[in-house]
Amino acid sequence: MEGNLIKLSEEFLQELWEEIEEMGMSVKDLRRCIQCGRCAATCPMALAGLDYFIKKIVHASILGLKEIFLEDSSIWGCQSCNRCVEICPMDIKPYELILALRRMCMRNYAMPSSTIDSLRNYYEKGHSVITAGYEERRRKLGLPEVPPTVLSNEEMRKKFQEVIKQTALAEVAPFPLD
Amino acid sequence: MAKIGVYVCHCGENVKGAVNIQEVLDFAKTLPEVVIAKDYQFMCSDPGQNLIKEDIKEGLIDRVVVAACTPRTHEPIFRKALEEAGLNKYFYEMANIRDQDSWAHWHDKLGATEKAKRLIASAVAKVKLAEPLEDRYQEAEKSVMVIGGGIAGIFAALDLAEMGLKVYLVEKQPSIGGNMAKLDKTFPTMDCSACILTPKMVEVGVHPNIELITYAEVEDVKGYVGNFEVTIRKKARYVDWEKCTGCGHCMTICPSKAPNEFNLGLNDRTAIYIEFPQAVPKKAVIDTDNCLYFKTLRKTGKVACKICEKGIPSKNIAGCPAEAIKFEDKDEFLTVKVGAVILATGFKVMEKHHFKEYSPNSPDVLTALEFERLISATGPTEGELRRPSDGKKPKSVAFISCVGSRDERFHTYCSKVCCMYMFKHAKILKEKYPDIDLYLFFIDVRTAGKDFEEFYVSTKQLGAKVIRGGRVSAVDIKPNGKLRIRAFDNDLCSPVEVDVDLVVLATAIEPGIDTEKLGRFFGASCGREGFLREVHTKLYPVDTASRGVFICGCVQGPKDIPESVSQAKAAAASAAATVMPGKIKFEAISAEVIRNKCSSCGVCVNLCPYNAIVLEEYQGIYKAKVEPALCGGCGTCASACPSKAIIFHGFTTEQILAQIEALTTY
Amino acid sequence: MKRVGLYLGCNIPFRRPDVEYSMRYALKALDFEVVDLEGAACCPAFGSMPSVDLLAWCVGSAWNLSIAEEKGLEYIVTGCGSCYGSLNEAKYHMEKHPEIKQKVNEILSSVGKKYEGKVKVYNFYNLIYDLVGLDELKRKVKFPLKGLICGAQPGCHNLWPEKVFPANDENTFQPKRLREICEALGGEAPWYSTITDCCGMGALGTLAKDKSETLFIRKIKTMLEEINPELYVVGCSSCLLRGDNRQAVMKKEGKIDFELPAVHIAQLVALALGAEPEKVLGLTEVPIEKVLEKIRGGA
Repeated sequence: MEGNLIKLSEEFLQELWEEIEEMGMSVKDLRRCIQCGRCAATCPMALAGLDYFIKKIVHASILGLKEIFLEDSSIWGCQSCNRCVEICPMDIKPYELILALRRMCMRNYAMPSSTIDSLRNYYEKGHSVITAGYEERRRKLGLPEVPPTVLSNEEMRKKFQEVIKQTALAEVAPFPLD
Repeated sequence: MAKIGVYVCHCGENVKGAVNIQEVLDFAKTLPEVVIAKDYQFMCSDPGQNLIKEDIKEGLIDRVVVAACTPRTHEPIFRKALEEAGLNKYFYEMANIRDQDSWAHWHDKLGATEKAKRLIASAVAKVKLAEPLEDRYQEAEKSVMVIGGGIAGIFAALDLAEMGLKVYLVEKQPSIGGNMAKLDKTFPTMDCSACILTPKMVEVGVHPNIELITYAEVEDVKGYVGNFEVTIRKKARYVDWEKCTGCGHCMTICPSKAPNEFNLGLNDRTAIYIEFPQAVPKKAVIDTDNCLYFKTLRKTGKVACKICEKGIPSKNIAGCPAEAIKFEDKDEFLTVKVGAVILATGFKVMEKHHFKEYSPNSPDVLTALEFERLISATGPTEGELRRPSDGKKPKSVAFISCVGSRDERFHTYCSKVCCMYMFKHAKILKEKYPDIDLYLFFIDVRTAGKDFEEFYVSTKQLGAKVIRGGRVSAVDIKPNGKLRIRAFDNDLCSPVEVDVDLVVLATAIEPGIDTEKLGRFFGASCGREGFLREVHTKLYPVDTASRGVFICGCVQGPKDIPESVSQAKAAAASAAATVMPGKIKFEAISAEVIRNKCSSCGVCVNLCPYNAIVLEEYQGIYKAKVEPALCGGCGTCASACPSKAIIFHGFTTEQILAQIEALTTY
Repeated sequence: MKRVGLYLGCNIPFRRPDVEYSMRYALKALDFEVVDLEGAACCPAFGSMPSVDLLAWCVGSAWNLSIAEEKGLEYIVTGCGSCYGSLNEAKYHMEKHPEIKQKVNEILSSVGKKYEGKVKVYNFYNLIYDLVGLDELKRKVKFPLKGLICGAQPGCHNLWPEKVFPANDENTFQPKRLREICEALGGEAPWYSTITDCCGMGALGTLAKDKSETLFIRKIKTMLEEINPELYVVGCSSCLLRGDNRQAVMKKEGKIDFELPAVHIAQLVALALGAEPEKVLGLTEVPIEKVLEKIRGGA
């Protein structure tokens, strides 16, 4: 991308389509989109002013502009609110495209560091988000310092990791699963 | 030995693009009893037909196979060629190597060529066993029934009546006029709808050739093209229409109220009512669901109110001056014979409750048809624009397009007229109230039609704001009574929102409630979306699958008034062409029962979709008999008959078996 | 006694355990036996396993659900909208694609676990609405809200996509359930026009902090103009992090000029049912004393 000009090219079109198909989004369904704009009217990404939001993302996917998604991080700002899915008149399930694109990007190692952190936390501790100082907060309320989740149960944590190792996370995680 | 000629059509590139013509010709020549195999670019053209005619005339062939497109459109053309060359037209067979072959296997040229060969071999095998058949003729009633008294039905009826044919115009409501009677103005000329429609309604009402049957519905249909027997239920009116003068006095004294359908429930009417002031016929009916007399009678068995009849003597208020009230009225049934039928029952618009993201619970969110009544001089506010919620004049109005149209969850089609009537609404408002703020939200602006684009631009010039790529995502009620619209604006590349006082939803045009049922009465089928389907979009746009049954107007799909009228006139011409000659030709392809073989089981009687088979006494026993004029030529009976007692002429068992053998041998 | 599995997720146990405390208190007070799901993990959050692939997502969710199944639970409850969304969506996908469910079970079986799909996943306010009922809730209230004006925020994940949830508002674009619960507690929860607007928390908040804050500011400002609430009541713990913790920061940074106390619906229910305010509101950052004074004043 240079300045404000996007070059249309079919160079990565087949590649992108195959990848998003593999990641669970039907390109044929996607191409039903008539760009009516309904999703964009209430999309949090659009309202926040991200460069790419759902309507543009659908269009860019149909045009096969793979590089946009590898270079621009907008897709990682999707709130998963599913309002687009609820109101899309063509029922293309726009949110499923976001997930497919993220999955594609992960396989190209194009993801924000926060995503890597949360995946690492998830695998190592069973929780994507762990905010420091929780022990103190919990104690204050008379709750056990460590919640009764996988975090406090070593046997379950081992089993959990055994299970997660068998998923695609093992292939895409930019850190070792051990 | 038959002498069979095989003619392969290229159909331009349509067949040739996928089928190797030369290979197919070479193959055809090897088939038994084939003496000639030729090809031509367009077999259906004059020179193409002449190839066949000359070969017949020279005595080279006595059976013909054309391998080309679909028999649905082209079989009659080639049969006629045979006839003109002096050969019985049923010595003809068509191999559909386009729709069923080249089109379907466009990317598999080898396969398509192989399939073409088999289809031709099968046609050859069948035509070899063809028998000469003769068409039959039957008398036809020189009259037509038009069902539906909207703008389409009105024009169809008038054209037919002007041609001297007897016309029965049947309408469900008490008055004719349909949806157009509810409109304020019409695009793109801005004629007042009532001003152009009501004179036509009056013309229908007084035309000597038109018998107007309103407040009536089809109850049953028997017969077939040329001889339909239609039973009509005339709903009880509870008012003697012979006596009723349409003075409207009853409406001033009736104490019971009900939502006024003509104004889409925006105000109330009385239980005894004349549909609208310009109604034709201008007669009153009693709505028994809401009439106090009938309600009390049903509940308690007692008589509570007869004010319309007797007035209120204590207050010196008189009852019906024409003494027309008839509480004991009953539904009447009426059977008429007609030669052809035109179905013109129109459409309905979607109601707003489907669209929960558009705050349908707000009284200030209206459908476009409701809005028409709100701005109509004959509407509940006599044309004054006032918000239903508080009666105040709105300062800003938003119009939302494609509500339920172009939407997989409701209707995938475009309702076609909404873009234009949104501009019409904007124009009406801007001309009446120049200061009003108008926002029109479109996905795309669609203005294909004569003078439509100019209408769009001139509306923009009046100051109406057009937002494109802007299918509205949400309409939310603000506590201050405003409605907030949220949309995307393609041109600003941004989400936008605006607070307005009134919202108008251009809800989809959809098939009327009983469209499918009506179609079934007459053997006319519906398409996927529920509108009645034409036989061929281009060539037979007003014909249905049922012969002698025609369609026009929105019963066939969304369209504007000029198009509805054009179709109405086309349907009238087609119906007239059917009944005017006084006799109707029936194809020889029909079933016949060999009575000696018939075991009287009656299986065929129930299976026949055309009700063409009866059990009739024959030599003391009941045997099946096919009425040839009713037989649709579907073959169901012949294939179901356990005694093999039914011959299906044109598709005999021997022919079918020969076809199957040919298909599987080569 | 009705048994309910308490699914904690991440934000509630680590960041806002006061919501965990409130849920435990409220559920007990409403005659539930609260069953802990020992060994449960993250739902998983949309930015994690769902963004890896569908199977990984389903495996993550099925891990949690299988623990509930082992305990013979009919239903579990979440206080976090993301957990509610992710678990229910995964359930839906596994129901729709039996081949995925089968693969999930192949993986789970390696540690002796199994997912059947029998457990319903409720969020807190729908559980109260459907399994307790407004009348019963009203009867149990010890400290009514005395007409406290609540600005209700159900949260996106609690509403859409409609088809995956066991319970929902009749019109998810005009939600009423959360408001009705506030009203059953003795408050008022009028309609306002940005009720379904996203608060900006979540992936967007991580990726574009400042931009995401504009969503929150716009939503709250409209709400203040329209109904001027005394309390912001949310159905989702992410909305709480934005509505309380983040709001406090934004105030310090001078980005906003309003101050609207915020609680999770579980906190409000617990408070009305008699829980100790020090625990229920122990971690609240935006000053909430006035609200507390109104509800529990003199008690």
